[in-house]
Amino acid sequence: MTREKIIQLVNQIFIEQFEIEPDQLTPEKRIFEDLALDSLDIVDLVTGLQQKFSIPLRENKDILEIRTLNDIYVLFEKLAAEHPDIVAKLNKEP
Amino acid sequence: MKPRIAITGAGIISALGNSRQEVYQKLLEDECPTRERDDWADQMYGTYQPFAAAVDLPVETAKTISRHFRRSMGNAALYATLAARDAVAESGLSKEALQSGRVGCIISSTVGSPGEIYASAMAVLRNELQDLSSCQFFKIVSHSSAFNVANFFGICGVQLSPCSACASALQSIGLAYEQIKLGHQDAIVAGGSDETTPIVLESFRFLNALAKNPDWSPSELSRPFAEDRCGLVCGDGAGIFVVEEWSHAQARQATILAEICGYATNCNGSQISQSDGASIAQCMRQALKDANLNPEDIDYVSAHATSTPSGDREEASAIREIFGDTVPVSSLKGHLGHTLGASGGLESAIILEMAKNDTIIPTKNLTRIAEDCAGLDHVTSSRPKRLRTVLKNCIAFGGVNATIIYRLADF
Repeated sequence: MTREKIIQLVNQIFIEQFEIEPDQLTPEKRIFEDLALDSLDIVDLVTGLQQKFSIPLRENKDILEIRTLNDIYVLFEKLAAEHPDIVAKLNKEP
Repeated sequence: MKPRIAITGAGIISALGNSRQEVYQKLLEDECPTRERDDWADQMYGTYQPFAAAVDLPVETAKTISRHFRRSMGNAALYATLAARDAVAESGLSKEALQSGRVGCIISSTVGSPGEIYASAMAVLRNELQDLSSCQFFKIVSHSSAFNVANFFGICGVQLSPCSACASALQSIGLAYEQIKLGHQDAIVAGGSDETTPIVLESFRFLNALAKNPDWSPSELSRPFAEDRCGLVCGDGAGIFVVEEWSHAQARQATILAEICGYATNCNGSQISQSDGASIAQCMRQALKDANLNPEDIDYVSAHATSTPSGDREEASAIREIFGDTVPVSSLKGHLGHTLGASGGLESAIILEMAKNDTIIPTKNLTRIAEDCAGLDHVTSSRPKRLRTVLKNCIAFGGVNATIIYRLADF
């Protein structure tokens, strides 16, 4: 899965679920401070990412370390490398 | 000296519109929002044509509440917040006052959100609990409307939610009146909200309380006090007041819309699903006593009457016992359906407009008055009348009664 595809899927969550304008979604943006998410939103972010990528994340320790949008992109680049089957499925989606 | 309690703001969300003036005008023109809900049929038991007088809120209206606040709201809490925003704006209460700790929030509904309870149940049945929102709990708990409104304004005084099904709004307003009389708060955002869904319809349908007559159009189904009444129509919405200590309102030169001059609530202690005329009469007597008024001082009774055979009979007998046929009586549920936990607030807000326009809205579809509801001065067509003092009833499952008496002129 390309980084572009990961960015597209992650950003969809921020746009649809958190109603953030697309032009706000640049990699350096901090999730709490710049995008104004809070602890409840983070629970929903993890749920949204699980649904979008079909990867269980609740027990994933790396997810606790994300601070910026780019951290999410990088995490999913790593997860994509570990889960080629899921990547193949996602690549078929438009 | 007995403290006096004012109403300084009133907001509504209803299936007929979201401003008091607009809804009053539509009621005067005999409009009824009840319609068939084909889109609900697949959630109903068996083959059934659902109908309701439900709010159809545009997404853009909902989005005037920011996502941060909206995320924890089911529809009942959303309606409450939108109505409260209008009520607070009309009252002119400042942000500083709202957040001073001297302003509270008392709002309730039948349950937190029937729609979100259904969504949660479906997630359990589909083994999709992991997909539920972090805010699902906050949407379905019973005091959802109260804390969502308090949170929206930053209110940090008392927060209560006396959920009592269809008496929820009137009990909330009455409790606000009591809290302020006791000196605990200067003002309280108070009222009720509710949402109707297929499951709500089924709850009444199982009890044979939902109107049913295939020969009548949707707008003819709700007919309080009528000979051929056969059940209620479910509606929803919100009605929220700013209730305020009189001198506090005067000191900031707020416009006083009405005075709450009496309140009582009781229960019948014997029936959870049936109304009981004796306890309804007792509740009205207690409210009159609290207001230091006599029956002849009341200019109009806004009945709870939902169009069920036994409920209307019992309330009519109570009104007849106290007022005879000397006081005009009508029920707004012929037009609006039964807006459940919102009804006491929403209908009280319409009373403000009736008083402003010196006109009583009649009971819709009341062409033949039932024998067991006779002996009252039923208002069957709009009637010019100066409304100085009005008595409002709400009656609920659980055997609950609530009565508020409003003074609307000559303060």
